[in-house]
Amino acid sequence: MDVRQYADLFLTESRDHLTAFNHLLLEWERDPAAPEPVGGIFRAVHTIKGMAATMGYGAVADLSHRIENLLDVLRRGEKPATPATLELLFKSADALDRAIADAVAGKDAAAPLQALIAQLDREAGTGAAPATPGRQRPSAPVMMPEAGPGRGRTVRVALRPQAALKGARAILAIRKAEALGAVSAVAPAPAAMETEGFDGTFSFRLDSEADAVVVEEALRAAGDVDTVEVAEELHEVVAEGVRARHIRVDLRRLDELMNQIGELVIARGRLASLTSRLAEPDLDEVALQIGRLAGRLQSEIIQARMTPVWQVFDRFPRMVRDLAKQMGKQVAFRVEGKEIELDRTILDELADPLVHLLRNAVDHGIEPSEDRVARGKPAVGQLVVAAVRERSSVAIRVSDDGRGVNRAAVLARAREMGLVAADQQELGEQELFRVLTRSGFSTARAVTDVSGRGVGIDVVSTAARALGGSLEIRTEEGKGTTFTLRLPVTLAIVRALLARVGSELYALPLTHVAETVDPKPEEIHRVQGRETVLLRGRLLPLVRLHEVLGGSAAAPAAQRLPVIVLEMGERRTGVVVDALVGQQEIVVKNFEAPRGMLPLFSGATILGDGVPALILDAGGLM
Amino acid sequence: MGHRVLVCDDAIFMRTMISDILTSAGYDVVGEAETGVQAIERYRDLRPDLVTMDIVMPDMGGIDAVREIVKDDPNAKILMCSAMGQQALVVEAIQAGAKDFVVKPFQPSRVLEAVQRVLG
Repeated sequence: MDVRQYADLFLTESRDHLTAFNHLLLEWERDPAAPEPVGGIFRAVHTIKGMAATMGYGAVADLSHRIENLLDVLRRGEKPATPATLELLFKSADALDRAIADAVAGKDAAAPLQALIAQLDREAGTGAAPATPGRQRPSAPVMMPEAGPGRGRTVRVALRPQAALKGARAILAIRKAEALGAVSAVAPAPAAMETEGFDGTFSFRLDSEADAVVVEEALRAAGDVDTVEVAEELHEVVAEGVRARHIRVDLRRLDELMNQIGELVIARGRLASLTSRLAEPDLDEVALQIGRLAGRLQSEIIQARMTPVWQVFDRFPRMVRDLAKQMGKQVAFRVEGKEIELDRTILDELADPLVHLLRNAVDHGIEPSEDRVARGKPAVGQLVVAAVRERSSVAIRVSDDGRGVNRAAVLARAREMGLVAADQQELGEQELFRVLTRSGFSTARAVTDVSGRGVGIDVVSTAARALGGSLEIRTEEGKGTTFTLRLPVTLAIVRALLARVGSELYALPLTHVAETVDPKPEEIHRVQGRETVLLRGRLLPLVRLHEVLGGSAAAPAAQRLPVIVLEMGERRTGVVVDALVGQQEIVVKNFEAPRGMLPLFSGATILGDGVPALILDAGGLM
Repeated sequence: MGHRVLVCDDAIFMRTMISDILTSAGYDVVGEAETGVQAIERYRDLRPDLVTMDIVMPDMGGIDAVREIVKDDPNAKILMCSAMGQQALVVEAIQAGAKDFVVKPFQPSRVLEAVQRVLG
């Protein structure tokens, strides 16, 4: 594991969030009464805070927290967003940018921020809460001091605590070991050893016949070695002499390869339909062979993009440990199904949502030990992240045995916020889910540094949907909560509903399609200027796709109108099309939308018969 | 007769101190160098048993000097002298072929331990 890969990831993601921060601020400045920007900014900052805390960048986490405090006050409308406030937020965005750069570069990011932090605190009216010492200390990024699979015996070495430049010393020791035989699976990775937090314990596999005493002697010759432990058993991980070999490939190359193979698969479809018309046996045979080869290539490339989840999960144990410590909780954390694989892009997108869920579990889920004991539960709370391969998806579960969701509190808060009827006495499973995933919803009384104010579940649910997946919550009061994220194994191929408007075909990924209905024209009513239809007692606003697309006049009034019901969180919209064509697996191709184009399309695809179709973005339609 | 040592550092203060530590322990400081280029030249001329090498020096740094010396004599025994916070550079030097390192501020006992380790 290379810790720097996390730093890169952190940097890229943070930059994205900062861009969003700035963009939304501009929007907000244009229309200070608009409610949307503040929520978006809040989430961006919150995400940066979570990531920074995971990476051990205390100063970044701290600044983010202060910005969040102010945003929260503004979001609740406790204070108006004056030009001066917005100016302060612009300044904060710049400072956050610099702090991130400093932190990643290993520079002290905290010092230049003091004045700004004081200003933010004044503006938010929170006053300077004393920062937790744990967050100030530059802690090391996550590292796993256990050697992974490899040839030979595991050797564990601990350097003297007072040793200087422990990383360099460890590398020196490894070189000494290399004189005896091949060294592999060094943990932590050499790059991690060079960071501030490396504690001087490391392990590796040594493929050597040398006696344990000889190994120890060689390692001690590196100096500052405290203890050496040479495991007795031989780990022959590589079965049947097949040795896995790896090279690094730029992800963009894989993306490009995937694109090209997508094209090939499309061309295959056209070839097949042409040959079937010609009825030439020789040509048929070649076409069939090309078809098989294209199919094999496609599955190979999908496989090549697969990445085991541990590449993201491996940073969690340290994070959970630090969180638990900070919260004064006792948590036993376990990761299961580390080897399960997902498309690299999906995996990268998954990191944030999982961080949210874990933080929530430690902060709100698991009770303090004394409470647990008083309830007859074991003092130590259990927290598990498990990846399981299902038929056509991967399920990732985050479960804790904590207090569970307090339905009464959720109901009370939901009533307060007007999310349910004022006289409602009970929340069904569906409603509970709807309320919990609502943006900004929280019952947490104390604003803590950890999970804050309930951003989290809506973020997780949105992220899951954006990836073509779903989120499920099961909770039992007093027993615990399990969040299940179901995700497609790959993003490149999705099932979509094909619809026709005029002479064009459009594809709508099934992810957000709840159902299709076909109301009669007379069932459509105008409510507050919008066309709506009553669907099982709920008003469903309608969008006529041909109008949105700026197309020609409506098709002649049909007997019944085909409507695709889109659902995103609790929002539902009906999309009226001319005709439904059917369901099909499509190869998603991203495209650069021409300037001025409607933000309605997320990509394009070419159907088997060579006809192109634009892929509609459900979010854009709602 | 003690082992012959070449001391390379651009600061006279440091060279003097290292020489004193080594001499008092019975080593024979046969030469000094204050740049990387000088270090390479002196090494060729003197063929010492051990070199102490500062990392940051004008006119070719210590790491490049290590590379050149090792190219010339794969068995060269070079001890890097580094400051705190130069971890990455020390690692680079080790990869270039340096045998060990000591960290400033120097404690005589640590320096001598390292010298003994390198000389084996």
